[in-house]
Amino acid sequence: MIEFLGEVSAWYADPATWSGRDGIPARLWEHLWISGVSLAGAVAAGMPLGLAIGHTGRGAGAVVAVANIGRAVPSLGLMGVAFLLLLPLGLGVGPLPTILALVALGIPPIVVNAYAGLREVDRDLVEAARGMGMREREVLGKVEVPVAMPVILAGVRTSAVQIVATATLAAAIGGGTLGQLIIIGFNVGDQVRIFGGAIVVAALSIATELGFAWVQRRATSRGLRGRPYVPMEAAQVGRGGGKSLG
Amino acid sequence: MRTNRTFVLGAALLALVVSACSPGEGDSPAASAGSESQAADLPSLTIGSAGFWESAVVAEIYAQALEGAGFTVERQLELGARDVTHPALVDGEIDLMPEYIGGYLAVTYGGEPTPDIEESLEALRTELEADGLVAFEPTPGTDADGFAVRQETADDLGLATMSDLAEVAGDLTWGVAQECGENPNCGPGLERVYGIDYGSLDLETLAACSTAIAEALNASNIDVAQVCTTQPEIAGFNLVLLEDDQGLAPAQNIVPVVRQELVDEAGEVLETTLNEVSALLTTEELTNLGAAIILNGESTADAASQWLEDNGL
Repeated sequence: MIEFLGEVSAWYADPATWSGRDGIPARLWEHLWISGVSLAGAVAAGMPLGLAIGHTGRGAGAVVAVANIGRAVPSLGLMGVAFLLLLPLGLGVGPLPTILALVALGIPPIVVNAYAGLREVDRDLVEAARGMGMREREVLGKVEVPVAMPVILAGVRTSAVQIVATATLAAAIGGGTLGQLIIIGFNVGDQVRIFGGAIVVAALSIATELGFAWVQRRATSRGLRGRPYVPMEAAQVGRGGGKSLG
Repeated sequence: MRTNRTFVLGAALLALVVSACSPGEGDSPAASAGSESQAADLPSLTIGSAGFWESAVVAEIYAQALEGAGFTVERQLELGARDVTHPALVDGEIDLMPEYIGGYLAVTYGGEPTPDIEESLEALRTELEADGLVAFEPTPGTDADGFAVRQETADDLGLATMSDLAEVAGDLTWGVAQECGENPNCGPGLERVYGIDYGSLDLETLAACSTAIAEALNASNIDVAQVCTTQPEIAGFNLVLLEDDQGLAPAQNIVPVVRQELVDEAGEVLETTLNEVSALLTTEELTNLGAAIILNGESTADAASQWLEDNGL
């Protein structure tokens, strides 16, 4: 085991690992841009949908059900189908089938969290906003979304981590990514590279998780930071009650 | 080379059969008799194969040809990979199976096959002798790494050989295996043997020998595909396999590998029957057999008997 880990470190130390077509930098860059484009696509498709059903409460059952079914579809199968469908257009080989599959993978957590986040916003708060004369768009943009931001961003974070981890599969259908390192390891029977490549993918997924956690924190309204949202009335009652009892 | 481990268990159950009815030395009354009484004196034998269609159909062809010659044949097809089949041969659980010169030499014996058939076969025979095994004559057909293009590309650019391809290599999109860059028979070999500047090629990577790479070639997503030379889709999509004219791929021609004991018992008829079959198995014939089995869903037995019939055997 120690010996094996030594071989893995030697692989990381080898300049050849860091250069050329199948070097870590080239494949990492490919992995990142494919994941980035896919996440952008998933946000563009999923966020308006999630916000709309969260705000209105209409169609929620159906959309959430569809989103959950979507989670059950295997990404590799989806990539294979996209590959075959795109072949006649000359787009089968390359990143596109992967991106389509990753967008599909990324949508459900975004939709479900945006919906759930908005539904959890205190109804009194929303009614107060309306009572102040806000239009629906303003209620959504100035009240619901800021309050629900931690939950909404948690969806994006989940989506991003899943996309980054799953992009690895692209190597099977000509999409490259860090999965290429692992596949080459398999094909030439080199466990060092399978392990070494997998570590890089795992590290990237963890970095994505941490990065989005940071973004999530930064993007959360100052007043909501550091503690879960608690309706104002409940908070006051809680505080006041606590003191008087003491 | 494709393997199928489903049959690994089956191998463990292999019956120790064979050869109860061998005649005594020099006792050959059949020599003057008709073929029926000769058949009674031929030993029964067990034929094995590796776990994929090509090995199985060649084994089945051996089996039917030998049955036609009067042998009693038991089949143990699709046993698995060489870690199963080779011990089975050495231990006598099977007496005969088709093998690939280069693959067998490299994988089982750690040898270094070359594109030269005779040289590689000689090296293999030397190794086999120590294990009490014999290899008869090879097929002209070979199941090696190769490169294919679409018919229209071949027509437009006048491509028939790998040397032809080398001249236009930079103008085409290549589909190669992910590990091509370090496979001596792929990237480095293309540079060494054909002078193709692999590093500057327009490359896409897909599993070599896969249906996907053949589909991608057929749909013009790539212009050149790394294939196995007997891959069924070559026939199915009417692709053009380019001739390896300068010798890049190691010889992967098929030889019947037989236990020496069986050769001693069976006499000449075994060798002549198998050599006759092998001589007719070209790369194209093997590809067509694959197309019949894999693409058209024919059974191995039907494809084999049809082939023997078509070739008048």
